Amino acid sequence: MEEYDSLISLIDSMASDFLFIDNNKIDVPAAGKFFNKLDALIKEADNREISQMKSVAAGLNSLLEKIALDDIDDEEAGFNAFEKGIVLMQEIGDSLKNTGVYEGDIDTFAESIAVLTGEQRSEVGEQRSEVGEQRSEVGEQRSETSNEIQDESLLRDFIVEGLEYIDEIEVNILNLEQEPENLDYVNAIFRPFHSIKGVAGFLNLEVIRDFAHVLENLLDRVRNNQLSVRSSLIDIILDGADALKAMIVKLKDDMEGKPTEPLEIDLAALKKRIESVEQDDLDTVEVKKLGEILVEDSSITEDALEQGLDAAQQSIPPKKVGEALISEGKVTPKQVSQALRKQKEQAADTAVIRVNIKKLDDLIDTVGELVIIHSMIRQNSFIRSNSDRKLNRDVSRLSSITSELQKTSTRLRMVPIKQTFQRMSRLVRDLSRDAGKQVGVVMEGEDTEIDRNMVEEIYNPLVHMVRNAVDHGIDSSEVRIKLGKPEKGLVRLNAFHRGGNIVIEISDDGKGLDKEKLLKKAVEKKLVDSSDSLLDQDIYKLIFLPGFSTAAKVTDISGRGVGMDVVKQAVEKLRGKIEIDSVVDKGSTFALNFPLTMAIIDGMIVKVGSERYIIPTTAIRQLLRPVEGSYNNIVGRGETINAMGKLLPLVRLYKIFDVEPDHKNPCEAIVVVLEGENRSKCLLVDEILGEEEVVIKSLGESLKSAKGVSGGAILGDGNVGLILDPEGLFELSESLG
Amino acid sequence: MDIDKNMKIMVVDDFATMRKVIKNLLKQAGYKNITEAEDGVEALKALKSEKVDFIISDWNMPNMNGLEFLKGVRADSEFSGLPFLMVTAEGLKENVVEAVKAGVSNYIVKPFTSEVLNKKIEKIVEKM
Repeated sequence: MEEYDSLISLIDSMASDFLFIDNNKIDVPAAGKFFNKLDALIKEADNREISQMKSVAAGLNSLLEKIALDDIDDEEAGFNAFEKGIVLMQEIGDSLKNTGVYEGDIDTFAESIAVLTGEQRSEVGEQRSEVGEQRSEVGEQRSETSNEIQDESLLRDFIVEGLEYIDEIEVNILNLEQEPENLDYVNAIFRPFHSIKGVAGFLNLEVIRDFAHVLENLLDRVRNNQLSVRSSLIDIILDGADALKAMIVKLKDDMEGKPTEPLEIDLAALKKRIESVEQDDLDTVEVKKLGEILVEDSSITEDALEQGLDAAQQSIPPKKVGEALISEGKVTPKQVSQALRKQKEQAADTAVIRVNIKKLDDLIDTVGELVIIHSMIRQNSFIRSNSDRKLNRDVSRLSSITSELQKTSTRLRMVPIKQTFQRMSRLVRDLSRDAGKQVGVVMEGEDTEIDRNMVEEIYNPLVHMVRNAVDHGIDSSEVRIKLGKPEKGLVRLNAFHRGGNIVIEISDDGKGLDKEKLLKKAVEKKLVDSSDSLLDQDIYKLIFLPGFSTAAKVTDISGRGVGMDVVKQAVEKLRGKIEIDSVVDKGSTFALNFPLTMAIIDGMIVKVGSERYIIPTTAIRQLLRPVEGSYNNIVGRGETINAMGKLLPLVRLYKIFDVEPDHKNPCEAIVVVLEGENRSKCLLVDEILGEEEVVIKSLGESLKSAKGVSGGAILGDGNVGLILDPEGLFELSESLG
Repeated sequence: MDIDKNMKIMVVDDFATMRKVIKNLLKQAGYKNITEAEDGVEALKALKSEKVDFIISDWNMPNMNGLEFLKGVRADSEFSGLPFLMVTAEGLKENVVEAVKAGVSNYIVKPFTSEVLNKKIEKIVEKM
C-alpha cells in the first residue's frame, strides 16, 4: 500500500542516521535532525490516524528531549531505547504496508520510555508542554562560576551599562502602563533584567543576580499571559528597578572608594510583594473555598466547619481542610471529592482570558452595523405592512436578540474604574507630599465600569483636576486648623452610573471656588461684561475659558501650561459635560458626565434640502423658530438671531455644505442654538426630523480631516447622515465670512 | 586533537559587557581571533563580508533573537555547517529544544567558566 511509503521512508532515513552515530551518544546536531524527522513523522501519522505510530514517535520525541537536555540518568539505556523505538516503527510501517494493520505490542516500549523520561505513559504525546515547567537546571556546569573574570574593567562596564539598562526599563514601564497590552514593552523590560542577571552571574554578584532573576521571572509570566499588567505590577517593577539601581550604584561607590552606608533595601520584603502580586492575579479568579461549598451542600454545619478549620491549622504538619474534616469524621471522602469537583468547575466558570483589544473593537463595530441593518429591516415598508405572523414573530425575536447582543458586546469592553482611581490615589499621595500638605483619598464606586477606550481619554483630565484639588483646592494644615477643619484634607473620588451615563466626581474639602473673585477676574480680562447677570454654574464655568487661572501663584505642580480649558476640551471630545458645585471654605465637586460608550451618540436629526445631518444633543442649547424682528443683518457684524437673550451669529448650514435648502428665510426655517467650545451660534436648518441614537461610523481617510464633520451614521430609515461638529462648523462659517 | 586557536569566533550579544565577559573567557582559553556583533541582524550582515569560523550567540536579543539568527544562518547553504554555540539561561528548556531543532551545534548555560566553554567548542569542532 503506497500510502505508507512516505512514512516508511522517513523512518528509514532516521534508521540510517542512527547508524552513523559515534560513541553511542546522540549529540546536539544529531538530535536536531531526529527532532525534525520525528516532527514530520508525528504529523504524518496524525493525518493518517495511525495512533500506534504516533504514540511511538511521540515517545521517542520525549526521550530525545531528555537526551538533548542532558537530563537523562542512564545515557546508554536512553540510546538503546531510541534504537528500539526506530526498529519498532519500522515493524509497524512494514506491517501496515503489507497487511494494513499492526497487531503487535507497543505498550512495552511505551513503558520503557515512561521509566526513562519519568513521565506517566498516558501523557506521552502531550509531554511537550511540561518540559518548560520543570525548570530544573539544564546542563551540568552551572554552579562552577569562577572568580577569574572578576576584573575591574568588566565591573565598571557592567555598572555603566547596567544603569543605562535600568533607565531603559523605567521608560518602557511607563509606556507599558499606557499600553498594557503591548507585549513589545514587556519584552523591552524583560530583556534588560535578563541581561543584568546574566552578567551579574559571571561577576559573582549573587544578590543582584538573584534579584534580577526574580524580576525577570515576574516579567516572563507577564510575557506568557500568566499575569496581567496592573498598577500593582507596575509599582513593584518600578520599585524593583529602583532597588537594583541602588545596588549597582552602591557597587559603583564602593569601587570608587566613596564611603558608603550599608544599603537599606529590604529585598525580602520586595520579594514578598512580588509574590503577592502574582498571588493577587490568581485571586482575581474568585473561587469559593472548599468549606463554603460543603456548607452550601449542607454536608456540614458552619460550626463544624469552624472546628474543622481549627483542627486543620493546629495539626502538625498542617492538614488541608478536607483532610482534617474527613479524619474528624465530619464529612465523607465522597462529599469532599464532590465539593472539590464543584470548586474546579467554578474556577473554570470564572476563568479569565485575555483578548486583543482590536478584536473586541472589531466585534463591537460589527455589532453596531448589525444594529443598524436590523433597524433598517424593521422599518422597511414591506416588513411593516406584512401580515405574516411568523415573519413578524421572527423579526421581533431578532430585535430582542440584537439588542441583547449589543448590550453584551458593549459590556465586553467595560472595565472597572478602580485602576484609574488607584492611580489618582497615588497621584494625590505624591502631590501632597511635594506640596507639603496632608491629604487623604476616599474612593467610592470603584467597581463602576467604563468603556476601556475611555480610560486613557479621561486620564489626563482627571489628573489635572486632582492636581488642582490638591494644589489649589486644599489649604495647608495651618489654614485648615484655623478654619476649624480637620488637619488632613480629603479628596473624594466617586463613580456611578446615571441613566445611560457614567458620572465621575472629584471632590475636595478645600477652600471652594470664590464666585466674586472669579467674576472680578473675568471682567478684568474682558471675558464677560460686568452687567451680565450670570448663574452660579455659569460663573464656575468661567474657569474653563482659555487663559483663565485663579491661582495667585503657579506651582511647579499645576503650572504645566494646561488649564481647565484643556480639561473641558478633552471631556467634550468624549461628548461629556462637566458640572461644578462649590461652597466657599467647604470645598468643590467637579462632576464629569460621560456617555457610557463612545460608539453611540444621542443625536438630533435635522434636514437641509435633501440632506440629513446629525447634531449631538449635548451641543444643543435651544431650538426655535425666529419671529420677525429677531433676525438682524448688521453691516460689519453679519447676520444675527436674538436667542437666549443675546444676539448670536447666524450660520446657514446650506451655505457651508453647498446644498439647496427648502427655506432661506430664517423665519420660515428652524434655528438650532449650538454650543461650541466657548461660544454659541445659531444654525439654520429646514426641519427637525427627530431624535435618534446613532452608531458613529468614522469617515474614510480622505474625509477624516474634513472640518465641521466628526463622522457619519446610517439612520434608522436607511438614509445616511453626517454628524456635525459644532466648533468645526463655527470655524468654517468664519472662514466663509 | 589540536584545535586551531586562531579560528575566527564571532560573539553575538546585545549587552556589551556580556560580549566582553565571553571575549575574556575565550582569551583565557587561548582564542585570539574574536569579532563581535550586537544582534542577529548585524551578525548576518557581517557574515556576508567576513569569514567567520565559529559563532557564539546569546538567545535573548532585541530585533532578532538568537533562534531567529540561528535560523537565518542555517537558511544560507554556505553556513549550514557553521559551528553555532547558543548561550542560554538556565531553566529555558523549551528554548533549547527549539534551538536543537533549528540546527544549533551545541548550547551552553550561563554562567560558565572558560574551561566549560572551551570544552564545548572543542566538542563541536572535533565533530566536523
